[in-house]
Amino acid sequence: MAVSAETLQSAFEAGEVTSPADGIPTVRVPLSAFTDAVDKIRFELDHPRFVDLTAVDRLTREDRFELVYLFYSMSQHTWLRLKTRTDSESPSITPSITGANWYEREVFDLFGVKFSGHPDLTRIMMPNDWQGYPLRRTEPLGAEPVDFTVTQSVYGTG
Amino acid sequence: MTPNTQHPTPNTREERELLTVNMGPQHPSTHGVLRLELKLDGEVVVHCRPVIGYLHTGIEKTFEAKTYIQGVVLTDRMDYLNPLGNNLAYALSLEKLLQCDIPPRATVLRVLLAELTRIASHLMFVGSMALDLGASSPFLYVWREREKILDFFERMSGVRMMTSFIRPGGLVRDLDADLIADISTFVDAMPAYIDSYEGLLTGNPIFKERTAGVGVLSAQDALDLGVTGPTLRASCTALDLRKTNPYCGYEQYEFAVPTGTVGDCYDRYLVRIAEMRESVRICRQALDRLPGGSVRTEDRKVMPPPREELAKSMEAVIHHFKLWTEGIKPPAGEAYVGVESPRGELGFYIVSDGSGRPIRVHERAPSFANLQALPKLTEGGAVADVVACIASLDPIMGEVDR
Repeated sequence: MAVSAETLQSAFEAGEVTSPADGIPTVRVPLSAFTDAVDKIRFELDHPRFVDLTAVDRLTREDRFELVYLFYSMSQHTWLRLKTRTDSESPSITPSITGANWYEREVFDLFGVKFSGHPDLTRIMMPNDWQGYPLRRTEPLGAEPVDFTVTQSVYGTG
Repeated sequence: MTPNTQHPTPNTREERELLTVNMGPQHPSTHGVLRLELKLDGEVVVHCRPVIGYLHTGIEKTFEAKTYIQGVVLTDRMDYLNPLGNNLAYALSLEKLLQCDIPPRATVLRVLLAELTRIASHLMFVGSMALDLGASSPFLYVWREREKILDFFERMSGVRMMTSFIRPGGLVRDLDADLIADISTFVDAMPAYIDSYEGLLTGNPIFKERTAGVGVLSAQDALDLGVTGPTLRASCTALDLRKTNPYCGYEQYEFAVPTGTVGDCYDRYLVRIAEMRESVRICRQALDRLPGGSVRTEDRKVMPPPREELAKSMEAVIHHFKLWTEGIKPPAGEAYVGVESPRGELGFYIVSDGSGRPIRVHERAPSFANLQALPKLTEGGAVADVVACIASLDPIMGEVDR
């Protein structure tokens, strides 16, 4: 049995509880209440296993990045989704959940969200000297010309 | 001999100089383009830092510029040893968003194809792990059977690897009776083949020497690091999403969830061998219960109408045109469905704003989380065991880097 919306609402008074199409109970908390919310979900609501973290860039909104965390209960076998919104920075959960390390690095690398307290916040997918954050919606979908003999006449390099 | 007092032999690790070695990204046993920064104290690995991103192709960015149907093609290329499983995970998430029902024949065929892909993927694991440890002949044998499975895929979809065969709304087309009969014959013969691989490796003293007790991962560490799939099950944790969160009617099939006892490389090998046997059982059950009927949903907003209707019905032409120009338009919302891929929990998180293109598609890639466990496996062990540890995790860089 998944955690009911009432339980979730009573656990997070400041949170906004929704139930999306996939039936995974979802709660959005303000950034200030985020660290407490993670502990609450992992221990009080018994969803200790960190599954996933990603971000969604809602360009037109203030606090444009929505961080989406997914947790899993080993006893009830259900998922629980936690969201929070930020503009640039968010507290890191890596000190308490080692498995979140690369996920936070990935969001930092591709969206430019900084996780304060992360032990090794460096680029993970892109080269270290890369400028910009590719998954932001302001970044165009681009291509880089590859210097083959056949493309020299097209791009005119070399 | 009097001790050399001017240059005493360093005794502690701090006194000795650590040697930094870059392993990869072109090392043949690193399974694609994985680079490891190893700090060595003699033969002992003191520090291991995996460096990834060499295969980053921006697939998640590309999704945002494609329609949902075009996105299916991208999913094949993430985990290229489990193309049908990735198609399935993507299709299930999108169908959740669309609240779309799938005909029973398509559901059973999806299970059959997903399990055949799992067998093909585990065959590759067995072959490459043996090859990494210096045994080259098992690779030839597993390739023989993997080739047969790829031939089935070619016969049904025209493509051996990047099938894009499972689409939102069902399957591209039905499998013909000849192909079903051939798959059935193959499934019956498979247990004997698995016995022969086991004959080559399971009791092999050299293989055991290289893997038993090497790269031990405790259950708690595995859970903390987000490890899933056979790697987690080898660390005595029976978490299989096919059992705990069944999709495609997996609750109606009889199969066991094999687990290990120690959590070393040898256990991870044994679990995958046992999983192949369970997959064969599931395939058999799927073939036995295969119902008749269509393999595509009747919902014309998801699947195009059959070709013959286009000549007769104006409505069919409109649906066809709309689907191939604007694509599927799921209602605004988000969906995630976790499925059990050969490597662990695989899920697509899809966010829609109601238009024909997704706002965000994120893959929860099992290899990405599993690879995080590599320092835990290798640190403190011998440098020669690093290769065994990588092989036993079975990472696919295509889905790690995306």
